[in-house]
This record gives sequence, structure tokens and C-alpha cells, in this order.
Amino acid sequence: MTERKDRRDFMMKAGLGAGVCGLGLQAAASLRSLVPNVSYDAPTTVKLGLPTEFPDGLKFLPDQRLFVFREGKTFHAISAVCTHLGCTVRAEAMSQPEFRELDGVKTRLTHRFMCPCHGSKYEGDGKPVSGPAPRALAWYHLSISVDDGSLVVDLAQEVARDFRLTLA
Amino acid sequence: MAFPFLSFLKRSGLKRSGDPEAPGVHPQPFWSFRPRSDRESGDAIVSNFALHMFPAKVSRASLAWKYSFWLGTGSAALFLLLILSGAPLLFLYVPSVERAYSSIKDIEFVVTFGSWLRSVHRVAAHAMVVVVCLHLVRVFLTGAYKNGVGQGQRREWNWVIGVFMLLLTLLLSFTGYLLPWDQLAFWAVTVGTNIAASIPFIGPQVRELLIGGRAIDQPTLIRFYVLHIVVLPGALGALFAYHMWRIRKDGGLAVTDKEALANERQEAPAVSTKTYTLLGIARGTSPVVRATALSRLDTMVNAVPDLIRRANLVTLGTIAIVSILATFIRSPLEEAANPLVTPNPAKAPWYFLWLQEIVTDTTVKIGSFTINGAFVGGVILPGLLVTFLILWPWIDRSPKEATGVWFDRTRRGQNLAFILLCLFILTLTFVGTVMRGPYWNIYWPWEIWPEIPGRI
Repeated sequence: MTERKDRRDFMMKAGLGAGVCGLGLQAAASLRSLVPNVSYDAPTTVKLGLPTEFPDGLKFLPDQRLFVFREGKTFHAISAVCTHLGCTVRAEAMSQPEFRELDGVKTRLTHRFMCPCHGSKYEGDGKPVSGPAPRALAWYHLSISVDDGSLVVDLAQEVARDFRLTLA
Repeated sequence: MAFPFLSFLKRSGLKRSGDPEAPGVHPQPFWSFRPRSDRESGDAIVSNFALHMFPAKVSRASLAWKYSFWLGTGSAALFLLLILSGAPLLFLYVPSVERAYSSIKDIEFVVTFGSWLRSVHRVAAHAMVVVVCLHLVRVFLTGAYKNGVGQGQRREWNWVIGVFMLLLTLLLSFTGYLLPWDQLAFWAVTVGTNIAASIPFIGPQVRELLIGGRAIDQPTLIRFYVLHIVVLPGALGALFAYHMWRIRKDGGLAVTDKEALANERQEAPAVSTKTYTLLGIARGTSPVVRATALSRLDTMVNAVPDLIRRANLVTLGTIAIVSILATFIRSPLEEAANPLVTPNPAKAPWYFLWLQEIVTDTTVKIGSFTINGAFVGGVILPGLLVTFLILWPWIDRSPKEATGVWFDRTRRGQNLAFILLCLFILTLTFVGTVMRGPYWNIYWPWEIWPEIPGRI
């Protein structure tokens, strides 16, 4: 008798286990399929055009959500993505340019930035001064393309505030 | 009878030859909206598929307008209306980033009645958020998540189910918000999904799973679309069925318990259709039983027609109000989604604006360490609020006599706290909706917003 009961018990548990495993694996496979393996996002290294096309002061590049600053022969780039919740900040020209030492590099600041979503305000170097923004706006690496001499931004490479690209 | 579904057209109970007459055998296998006896009334519940979820008898008190305001029925009616008005939109809308916006534009300007159908869907969705919230407020203020007299009551679990149904309602509204693929949609979803990304450590992965990539694009649209039309309505429908089943298991609305507690076991005339043991009618000369309110004739009424008529009135009234409102309220459609330009100001849907107010004000700086307000106001605070809502039936230690009573004295403190919380949320919603202008600055409603150029 016990042998028979054990057998039924075993079959019941085996069936239950098979059911749980089957459903569990189906669920896991279904969920995993929703995690993308390939990103079709825009590339992070982008050619921005010849340096001569950039005016002195600020140019906003909506596609890269980037501000490129030029002061004579030196360039630097600041992200336009608010560090709070990712809205695009707007630049506002100041009536008087301000000169400031940024990590030892004297810089002319012509604009400040404001976020339309939750009112964060940033100074010209990207430092948050009011509103909910938790961090400063990112600075990105700039370089000159070897093939056609155009300005290249690397949106995956953040740099410190003393970074400048100076043309010869 | 050849057409059983037409039987209600016929006065039931008419004698036909060949009807069996033995006790317990029903002379009419069909049912009527106008029953002439308790048995015919009960037959309706038993024979009709749509009615079988209702009890045969309900307490008179639970039907009172001023007890429940029928807000649950109203929510269900709105859900029904959303399914009905969503069905034609399913045939007309194309969930692709190239065509979504123009298909909505077609619905708005080309399709016959398209604009009205879209408005019905939108007005009903906003109304559902309001009515479901009011339903939660009613249940809290009447202590209706408490158990009174019945055996095996689990009203606290039905409250938990209800909280999840509220969350599903909000998610349904939010996923629907993206589908037009206009500026309003795109930036509301940008902000919403970046809140998810602010969770420490796992945030970016959560956002990537939500939107199917690192930027809001086709994978996001199809995800929100499938959630909106299949996953979330399915889950809400399943929870709705469970919610209703639990009401039956818990013995009806909580006010029924109040009735039962108020006049426990009074002497009452025996009910002729019930069977009693001899002990039940032992005293006196006429048959008198000691019955609880739940089995006394004067406190209970037949579900058909008393409950059904009121439920039908609420449903029809809800559909009528929404349909009429939809002829006056046009649904907005802004410019097509443009990831390059953030509108100024960029606002979430109104029922999330109190959260947007909070995420604006909750960035915490401790020395050099900063916690993003998005995480505090968008994840921690709402999470705490939902947790408290879910746990409240176990925190509330008021006596069982407070079950199903508006503003019971023993629950005065918690009712007050709850009302203050609601007023706080309403105030923030008002500020966010009316008083926030460009760059999220405060403007009085009568002030004119300054002109802000569209681009720099």
C-alpha cells in the first residue's frame, strides 16, 4: 500500500514541478525577450560641422541636445539635458558677460540655462543654482576629425570643466 | 420557449399548460425585471447570466444614495464605457511613430464621429480617475474596509485589491497619454520614465525595460500601446471580478454590518419561505423567531428589481453625462512629438501634477551628497503613500462598531488626517495645474504669462 501511495505522491509532485517549471520558464523567456539586445539609438560620436561654421559665443544643436561655445580659437561643449528629469534646458543670454575661473581656466560666460519642466536654473558653466537639479550639466569631449577637419563631440565621454579644444 | 432571451418581454408567471406544480419546481424557468413574488425575483438572479453575480436579497441601507453615492458602480460604468469607446478607436489608430500622430489627426478631423468618440474616451478616462479616487475616499471615511459581524469577512483584502485597481486606473490613463505621439505625450512620458530612472542602482535598467531602449521611440510606443489595450485592462478586469466576488463573500457593503450590529437579534415574525428548527420558534403563540437584521424582512429587499434598477440608473446616467460632456469638450492635439524642443512649461497630466510639484521641491542636499528630487518625490513619497494605504486596515484599531459609518467618532483622528492629506494633494494639483507658468515659475491665475520665444 505504502509503495502505491508513494508512487502517486511522486507522480503528483512530478506533475506539479513540471507545470511550475514550464510556466516559469515561459514567463522568464517572455520577459527576457522584452529586454533589447541591440540599441538602434543615435551614435554617441557625432560630427558637428567645420569649426568655422560656429559663431563666437553659443550655438545650440537640437539633434545632439548640446550647446557649443566658442571663444576665439577655443571650444567647449555643455549638455542641454537637465540632470533632474531629462528635459531640454534653454539658454538665456546675459546682459553682461561674466568672467570666471573654471578649474584654473579663465572663461567668459555669456549665458545661463533654465529648464522649462521644473524650473531648475544653471549658471553659464552648468552649475545648478536653484530648482531641483541634483547635478551640474555635463561637459562633453570635443575633438577635430582627422579626415575632414570637422568638430566631433563624444557624448559618451564626460570631461572636467577645464577641458578646452584649442585650434592651432 | 424558442427565444429565452426574450422572455423578459413577457409577463412571467402566466400559467401555461404542462407547467409542473410540485413544490420546489419552478413553474417558469425564465425571469422578469418585474417580479411579482419573491420567488420570481430569486429566479431572475438564478437564471440570468448577467445577474448571477448579485445576491438575491440586499440590505435596504446599502442601497442608500447618501451612504455610498454609488461611486463603485460609477467607476465600473466608466470602465465599460472606456472599453466600448476604445473599440472603434482600435480600428482607427496606428501604433507607429510615423503614423500615430496622423491617425489621431484623422480620427479628430476626418472620421465621422471620430472626434466625439475620442472625446468620450478621454472624458471617461479623466472621470474614471476622479470617481475611483472619490470611491477610495468614501470607503476610507466610512471605515468600510473594516469587518463587522460576518464569519470569514476579509474586507481589508478587498481594500488592498481596490488600491491596486486605483494604481491600474492611473497607469491606464498614463499609457493612453503617450499614444497620440504629440508634444504633450512625448514630454509627459520623458518626465515619467526619467522618474523611474532616478531609482538608485537599478533605475537606468528599469527605464530601459519600460521604454525598450535608451530613447523614447517606436519600442516605447508599442510597449505603451500593448499595455494600454491588453495588459492593463485585462488586469483591471480580473481584479474587478475579484473585487465583486469579495463583496459577496463579505456579506455586501459595510453598512449592512452596521445595521446588523445596531439591532442584533430582535424578535421578528417568521419568514414563510424559510425553514426554522423548532427551537427557533419556541416561545409565544404565533410563530416568532429571533432573527438578525440580515434575515428580517423589513431591512432586506429583493435585488431584482431594487438593486438592478438603481445600478442601471447609475450606469445609464454615467454614460449620458460623459456622452453629453464629450460633445462640448474637444480633446486637445498638440504639435507632433518633437524630441528636439521641450514645451515651456512641460506638464504631466493633471492627476500627476501634485507629484510633479513634489519632485520639483524635494531635491535633498546633504553636504556634497545630493539625492535627486525625482527619487524622493517620484518614488519614495508615492511608494510610502501607497504602502500606508495598503496597510491602513491593519493600523486602524477602531472598534468594529465603526464599520460602515460615515465619520464615526472613534475614527475622528484618522479621518481628519486623511482629509488633510487629500486637501494637501488637491492644493498641489491646483498649484501645478493653474499657477505654474514658463520655467515652472509661480503665476497667479489672473497674471499673463510672459512671451517666451519658441527656440533660443
